[in-house]
Amino acid sequence: MFSVVAEEVTKVFREGREDVSVLKGASLTIAPGEIVSLEGPSGSGKTTFLSILGCLLSPTGGRVSIAGETLEAKRPAQLQSIRKRHIGFVFQQFNLFPALNALENVEYALNLKGVRGKQAHTEALALVERVGLADRARFLPRDLSGGQKQRVAIARALAAEPSVLLADEPTANLDINVAETILDLFVELAHRDRRALLIVTHDPKVRRVVDRTVRIEGGRIAA
Amino acid sequence: MVDLGLKTLLHDKLRFAITTMGVAFAVTLVLVQIGLFVGLLDNSTITIRKIDADLWITSKNSPNLDFVHQFPESNVYRVRSLPGVERADNLILSFMQVALPTGAEETTIVYAMKDFEPWGIPWHLRGGQLDDLRRGNFVMFDESAEKRFGAFQVGDYREVNGRRLRIVGVTSEAKSFTTTPIAFMAYEKAQEIQPDLLSGKTSYIVVKLAPGADRELVRREIAQRLPYNDVYTSAEWAERSRDYWIENTGIGFNAFLTVFLGCLVGVVVVAQTLYASTMEHIKEFGTVKAIGGSNLDIYRMLAKQASIAAGFGFVLGYLPAQLLKPVVAQADLKLIIEPGFTILVALGTLGLCLCSALIAFRKVAGIDPALVFRS
Repeated sequence: MFSVVAEEVTKVFREGREDVSVLKGASLTIAPGEIVSLEGPSGSGKTTFLSILGCLLSPTGGRVSIAGETLEAKRPAQLQSIRKRHIGFVFQQFNLFPALNALENVEYALNLKGVRGKQAHTEALALVERVGLADRARFLPRDLSGGQKQRVAIARALAAEPSVLLADEPTANLDINVAETILDLFVELAHRDRRALLIVTHDPKVRRVVDRTVRIEGGRIAA
Repeated sequence: MVDLGLKTLLHDKLRFAITTMGVAFAVTLVLVQIGLFVGLLDNSTITIRKIDADLWITSKNSPNLDFVHQFPESNVYRVRSLPGVERADNLILSFMQVALPTGAEETTIVYAMKDFEPWGIPWHLRGGQLDDLRRGNFVMFDESAEKRFGAFQVGDYREVNGRRLRIVGVTSEAKSFTTTPIAFMAYEKAQEIQPDLLSGKTSYIVVKLAPGADRELVRREIAQRLPYNDVYTSAEWAERSRDYWIENTGIGFNAFLTVFLGCLVGVVVVAQTLYASTMEHIKEFGTVKAIGGSNLDIYRMLAKQASIAAGFGFVLGYLPAQLLKPVVAQADLKLIIEPGFTILVALGTLGLCLCSALIAFRKVAGIDPALVFRS
């Protein structure tokens, strides 16, 4: 069974009086433990595709299935539920909460996923340790380097053990050495825990660690 | 559980301070303005509430306590003869002129009775005996008169309507809505000083009912016997007097306007800062959604922030209002902040802050989820 299945996915946005078709039948499957990179020029539909696979948007047409659950476009609550249980996001800008320290950023994500109290604290601590930031657990994001922030973001994405990780340009704001370390961490997380990983990127370094690269152009997966 | 709303609120201390100060300002404004308003209205009826009467008989259609028409004093006999009436006495209220040592003249409202003692006024007496009033050309002034009359003390003399009277006592807390000072003198003395207006006349008859008497029955009987007068209970007469000032002087509208403006200031400040904060943190809210949160999680967070701003703002607004009491008292005004009103303002503050958060709610509901991917 695939962790991610997207078949002939279309997405049409209404802009003023016009319908704009961003995805025109994009298809993709990702197996558990597989690392796939998604590349494409600006405006090709990468972010929209990522948003649909991440259950942030519902598709206009086609079929999307995450961890065996098929998205039903008319049930927004189902999107949130799948996102909560099966998806972890890593963003280019890290998107950490500036008022929360590293540990709290992770613990808050666990809280949102229904893990509370001491258990959430213990799990958050374990995740922070896992990404190698135990000594920075009480630091606010402003006191962390770019690489450390991304590690916190990864730890947060791992909250409640999602089966799918979606990363949007995770190395774009990092220097070369840090980017390599982060990519190694991704490989470990995907292969060891059999977690599907989709990385949207322009960074050629990413190709070193992925199992497969797909390209999106004009709203369709090209290869 | 990690409290993102609280932490975010406290993270930006300056914004939090501005929000709470805005709420505090609105709370102080409302409490002080309404407190002064209530204080003024309290003055307008304090003598009605202090006089131990069950019923007040007034001339027909008298609008309030101070603006009276006289009527025959002999009416009191018809009232005294009624079953259920324990005591009924005439009470004169009349404006008189006081000549000051400076040569200027000021107005005073004279309360005159044959015997004040059974009616419980004046209720605070500093020096002198009430009985002294009946023994000669004597008068008592309330201490609040010093502001207009200049300093005076027991033993001093003042001319009232051209009659030289000796001050035999000083009272306190007896005030009128118009701040015209109140004086007390013997019933006959008032008639003697102002014969054209008061000879054979009274302004009110105050009635004390016998224990167990049916107030409504006695009231109907009085109304039947005195068809050219009105009969009110003390509470009704106080309310009528209060309503007159509220409705005819613009003070009610002024108070309403102040409360409205205070609330508006509070709402605008809280709404503006919450909205600005929401816009500033919009990506964070998008992230909350992306990592598994729902709109409800974000609404709760915003509602909590609004509630905290309301709580801090209320406390910070309430304290200065209380601290202003002695300052206001020095200006011879009363600032009355009753517990019920305080609770109402606290709840109103919370309600308005939550309403202010609605704009932020709307913004959050319409967040484009893809914004989390934007740099």
